[in-house]
Amino acid sequence: MPDGPTASERFLNGILPENPVYRQLLGMCPVLAVTAAMLPALTMAAATAFVLISANVIISLIRGQLRPHLRILVFTLTIATFVTIADRFLAAYLYEMSKVLGPYVPLIIVNCLIISRCEICASKQTVRVAVADAVGMSLGFTLALVSIATVREVLGSGTWLGLRVLPEAWPNWGIMVLPPGAFLVLGLLLAGVEWWGQWRAERAALAVASVSRSLQGQSGGAAREEEASSWKA
Amino acid sequence: MESLTLLVQIFVSAAIINNFVLHYFVGICPFLGVSRRVDMAFGMGCAVTFVISIAALLSWTFTYYLLRPDAPLPAWLWQRAGGDPSVAIDLSVLSYIMYIFVIASSVQFVEMYVRKFAPKLHKSFGVFLPLITTNCAILFACLIILRNLQDPAQLWGPAEALTLALGGGVGFTLAICLMAGIREELELCDVPRPLRGAGITLLVAGILAMAVMGFAGVDQNLQNVIDAFFN
Amino acid sequence: MTNSRKIRGYLQQAWLVLLLAGAYGGALAGVQMTLAPRIAENRRRETYQTIPQLVPGADRERTVELWISDREGNPARVYRTHDAEGRHNGWVLPASGPGFADDIGLLIGLDASLKKLTGMYVLDQRETPGLGDYIRDADFRRQFQGHAADTPIEAVKSDPQEQQIVVLSGATVSSSSVCRIINTAIARMRGPLLQSQAAASAAGGDAREQEL
Repeated sequence: MPDGPTASERFLNGILPENPVYRQLLGMCPVLAVTAAMLPALTMAAATAFVLISANVIISLIRGQLRPHLRILVFTLTIATFVTIADRFLAAYLYEMSKVLGPYVPLIIVNCLIISRCEICASKQTVRVAVADAVGMSLGFTLALVSIATVREVLGSGTWLGLRVLPEAWPNWGIMVLPPGAFLVLGLLLAGVEWWGQWRAERAALAVASVSRSLQGQSGGAAREEEASSWKA
Repeated sequence: MESLTLLVQIFVSAAIINNFVLHYFVGICPFLGVSRRVDMAFGMGCAVTFVISIAALLSWTFTYYLLRPDAPLPAWLWQRAGGDPSVAIDLSVLSYIMYIFVIASSVQFVEMYVRKFAPKLHKSFGVFLPLITTNCAILFACLIILRNLQDPAQLWGPAEALTLALGGGVGFTLAICLMAGIREELELCDVPRPLRGAGITLLVAGILAMAVMGFAGVDQNLQNVIDAFFN
Repeated sequence: MTNSRKIRGYLQQAWLVLLLAGAYGGALAGVQMTLAPRIAENRRRETYQTIPQLVPGADRERTVELWISDREGNPARVYRTHDAEGRHNGWVLPASGPGFADDIGLLIGLDASLKKLTGMYVLDQRETPGLGDYIRDADFRRQFQGHAADTPIEAVKSDPQEQQIVVLSGATVSSSSVCRIINTAIARMRGPLLQSQAAASAAGGDAREQEL
């Protein structure tokens, strides 16, 4: 297949198997900086999704005319323009939130996630595939932001999206909403995802091994002996 | 004297208390990626400090004369072109695009210059230069300068901009070198398998961030000491 | 001949970039034209809606924004407040300075004769949640009302006397930062404001009528 994964595969890929934060470690700066509470995290995710999808569409539309040595220039120009638009919209319609996010909205320009999607996918694929890829990646990024913000807001303030979920008696873990909390939560969640991946890989390996063993069991005892000794080694 | 106090306070705040990496989370990518060995980390830190200073001075110049709400250059051009002088020209909507190109071109020029005139230096940190364009720390410094030029009540001069950049660069170098030192030791430890790589690095960064929080408020007392010394 | 070919070559390479730059420039200009008034209005409203809390009896619709040179000759923004009948009844000074973690942005309310503090409001802060961010609380802010404006305010741990406030427990630095910012701002602006008032009354006319 010359085109690589199809649109729907790319869409699903972005959400979990190639999650931009947990798998590719891209765009760490907003992941750490704006996740002290759910609301700024969601706003940040929406702004990033807007920029990512718009930039992917534009780059995919002009991909036939792109000169290789000018492509990074075009990517940067496109991303910076859409980030400016997103920033102005936030300042006009969600003024309080734009004050909370502060410089992290313009910092979307240097979010490696967007430029890497332009380079890897949008500049080579049709608009349909590029949009599917961008939406999938945005959802994956949102998922990551939301998961971290959930842990930090619930433990740090006893609320979720501003609603109280833990009893008033809960002693707020101040550290969670402070910078160190961001590092600790992300580190532990990354380790959790990694552990889950390893556990699944091990189980899959065991399943393959048992299937092959049972197949070999039918063909003869000698092969089984050999298999067992190789497992011991 | 008052300006000296301000400069000291900006520097200490950017370098230690509100450390770019451990408090504002900018420059995380190289902080996680290039912190395996102390010498490489130091090279990266020097490269960032170098570029951040140049980019900060350039973006201060552009912002002061061109982009801030009542900048002199566009107003002058507008009046020369016969425009109504009472209309305020605000080009600040272009600032993000301007900054990213200032950063990209200053990285290019620094690379060319260093390769030509200081090949030895280029050998030690030249490899990091292209990576720096997408380092958020530099754009972040430019954005802080923009914020401090928007309010005419407290206009920053080039000295303040440069001090902020140097402080930020020193803070970045400090954080990444500390991290690299710890990671060199971690090589010898039995880290649980899922935590290896980014996981343990982030946990260590969390502990470093806690340590840096202990410096909060130091700039105030420093300011008091300087005031007392001069009075 | 070679020159024009060179230019054609450049254009062939770069027409897309130039076209995109033009299109994006147009889009940004459009965004700026439509949204800039709204953003400016948001910024204005943020300050203006707190003015009745800062100067008792002030009408936010009758507040006038002024630019006055401070003690060192730099321009500074102040707000001149008026009551519902249009009588001048106070001043509001924006001020900012370093707090415990980041810069703290404040609004300071003064009475018309610049003798007394009438209120304080925190616009921007990133102090420690659960400790330093209590500087936003009404109980803490109320402490600043009624102090004399010509002597600095001090933060003490307990038993406040004249010109003293009690620090928040666990947030000594945040509390004294607020005092410091207020003292600096008043020292910076009080003289020039008194001068401008004296000049206005010496001129005999009430400047208020023209401002409104």
